[in-house]
Parts: sequence; C-alpha cells; structure tokens
Amino acid sequence: MSQQITVYTSKSCPYAHRVELALVEAKADCTRYQIDLRNKPDWYAPKVNPVSKVPALAYGGPPVPADQPSPESTKLTESLVLVEFIADLFPESGILPKDPVLRAKARLFADAVSNKLVPAQVAVLIRDEDPEQLVQAYEAIQALLPPQGFALGPFSAADIAAAPFLARIELNLANDLGGFPANEGKGPKILELLHAPKLARMQQYLKDIRGHPSFVATFDEASRSVTLHFLCGHGH
Amino acid sequence: MVNTEQITFYTHIYSPYSQRVHIALEQAKADYTPYTLNVLDKPDWYAAKVNPAGKIPAITYGGPKVSPDTPSDESVKLAESAVILEFLADLFPDAGLLPADPVARARARFFLTVVDTKGFEGFREFIFLGHAMAPLIDGYAALQALLPPAGGFALGGDALTIADMAFAPFLARTYLLLSVDLGKFPAGEGKKAYAILTSPRFARLQQYLQDVKANPYWKATWDEDTQLAMWFTNPVFRRK
Repeated sequence: MSQQITVYTSKSCPYAHRVELALVEAKADCTRYQIDLRNKPDWYAPKVNPVSKVPALAYGGPPVPADQPSPESTKLTESLVLVEFIADLFPESGILPKDPVLRAKARLFADAVSNKLVPAQVAVLIRDEDPEQLVQAYEAIQALLPPQGFALGPFSAADIAAAPFLARIELNLANDLGGFPANEGKGPKILELLHAPKLARMQQYLKDIRGHPSFVATFDEASRSVTLHFLCGHGH
Repeated sequence: MVNTEQITFYTHIYSPYSQRVHIALEQAKADYTPYTLNVLDKPDWYAAKVNPAGKIPAITYGGPKVSPDTPSDESVKLAESAVILEFLADLFPDAGLLPADPVARARARFFLTVVDTKGFEGFREFIFLGHAMAPLIDGYAALQALLPPAGGFALGGDALTIADMAFAPFLARTYLLLSVDLGKFPAGEGKKAYAILTSPRFARLQQYLQDVKANPYWKATWDEDTQLAMWFTNPVFRRK
C-alpha cells in the first residue's frame, strides 16, 4: 500500500473519530490534519469537501502538505463509507471479518447506531426531549451485544460506529452539557437512567471500549474539546 | 466459491427497498426462494421468526430447506436492504455487485448514502407526505450530478452495481407515479414535477433510467403495468 492517506478530522466530531479509530486499527501510515470547525480554512471546501464537514479523506496523488491538497488525490467522505474503505485497503486489520454473515452483523450494528442511537442522542442531548428515548436506544444496542466482548466478539467496524457516540454521550451528560437548562443537574440525572441495572451490559461494553488501545489512542477525555460535539455541524 | 446455502427472500413488488435485493439476487444468479408477504395483513410468524421490525425486505440464509412460512431457527436472518446488498456482494464476489477496487467501492457506497438521504427524503416528502417538491427535485439533481456525464451506470460501466440497484427502484417509481399525478401532493403538482424531471435539465437522469430499464436484471424484477395498477389502488393515495 503505497498511496498516501490524509484524513481531515476534528477531536470534537464523533463521525471523524470513527475514521481515526479505523486508521489506528489498520496501523495505517497516514497524515492527520485537524480542522477547527469554528474557523474552517478557506481552502477546505473548494479543495477537499464541498459541504465543508469532517471527516474527509484524500487518497493517493503526489505527496503534498495536508493544507495544500492536490487535485490528483481522490477525495472521499461519509464516515461509514470511509471505515469500509479502510477495511478494504487493510483486509488483515480485522476491522471487518472475512465471513459474510459476520460482516452483515457488523453492518446491522452500525445501522442500529445510525437509526436508533444517534437520533436519540440528538433528541435528548440537543433538543432536551424525553430521556426515555436514549434509554430505549441503549436497550436496543445492548440487545445486539453478545454476553462478553465487543459486538462481534473482537473489536470491529461495529464498535467503531458506536464508540465515538457512546463515549461523548456519557462525557457530556456527566459534565451536564447539552441543550437542557443549565444548572439543574439534568445531565447527571439522565446519566443515572443510563446506568440503571438493566443496562449493566452496556456499561461493561463502554468500559471495554474505553480500555481498547485504538480508543485510548484517539480519545482524550481530559480534553474539553471532545465535549464540543454540538459544533460538529452535522445535519440532524 | 459457489454458494450452497439456502436463501429465502421475503418481499412484495410494491417495495422499492425489496426490489433492490431482488435485482441483486437476479444478477448474482442466486438460487433463492421468493415469498410475497401480505404487507397489509402480516402473519404473526413474520415478526416472530424473520424480522422483529416486521418489514421487508428480509432474507433467511442457511439452515435446513424449509417452506418460507415456517422459517427455521437455524437460519441467519438479515434485514435492511443496504446490509443485504453488501451481504450478497460478499457472497457472490464475481457478480459485479461491487467492484474489487477500494476507491470504486467507496464511490458506490457514497452514491448509496446520497440515495438513502437526499434521494429518499425528497421522495417521501413530496409523494408520501404531499409537501413541497423542491427536496425531490434537488435530491435528483444531486444524484444526476454524481452520474458519469458520458453515460453508463453510477460507476460508469454498463453493468448494474449496488449503487444502481439502490437508486433505480425509487427513480422508476418516481417517474411512474408523477406521470399520472399519483401521490399525496395536491392535484396537478405531480404532473408539474414530472414536467421538470422530463425537461432538458434532467436529460442525463432520463438516459440513466432508460439504460436501467433495458437491463435484463431490472426487467426480471419490474412489471410497469402491475406496479401502476397496484399504486392506483393504494389507499394512502386516495384523495378526497
């Protein structure tokens, strides 16, 4: 694999985090360029991603500095498309297993993240809607987990889809950050619901994620920047 | 590698999502058993034994050969059309459902993502909710812009990939329904949208649809007269 890989990313963005996880799992030789989502460079939309969001990947083309992207590189976007792309480039990485049924299970898990967890996160943490939606989303994800380990057993694309969202949900709620009224302690109260005994398996899953090497390498909990996911700018 | 496991395909011809999977099964020349689900009166065993969400398409894969209405606990159950398309691409790597090149695969998946976001939203908003036509027109303009200008299917070749299989069922139903002003929109709005979609602005899209309709695997899954008759009797579209 001699084609260059440059990823345009932001620590606060859970979608970009997925791509970073995949690149670390693949042990890919790549360049990471941080985009400040509140102050995007002028060249980003015209030269990398016309919709101006992260993540984006520039693949191939001549070696150039990340802030001077070449028209010769292929520009790719959409976090789950990029995770599949990295899995295709690095088939031995384990991001996706070889067995078609297990690959389908990984994709169904990612689908549940997209269709249940992410909308519930937006509803509860941004629009201050009924927290029960997030409890139900956690239950739906939990129901797909085996008794131990990650979604397929070993860490895979399934967990790459989920981990950035789960980690930020918990971190934001613990810090009482969200669209709910300030100083009412609503965030921690919602977190208690998510830490109920019936969701013990999810808490174990989160613990396993937080201890997993590629996650440790790509998520700095102490950094305030990871809690600014609302500025990620992705449409709802 | 030849697949020897059984495949049972739960479907209904009205469903654009089911048609995606149907085209893929045909192009893969898979040995499969189709079963038409009565979507207006679903049997209890369907949610219990095949798809808890109760929706089509779904497939069962493997396990003993049983009749479709008595699914075995031993088979794998898969739902979600995009997941099933990828599964069939994995199972039948020589069927052209996805190319081998990682960049081309990423382009196919990106196209599919746009179909499922901008494409579907516009379709639903206008035809099923009767709202403004702008998202539908804009969605199809965005998808048209992704098509190779010189011709061919979404990845430029003359064979369908999962990108086309995902898009064409929605596109064909859009042109069909709007041509006869059938949908939840106010009377006449469908024909107005049809006029836009058949104007020179959408020449490339029309060529694409024409090319799709000439494809043998599309033809194996589409009967326009039956579709139209079925949509005319869909109670959702009865206008007062």
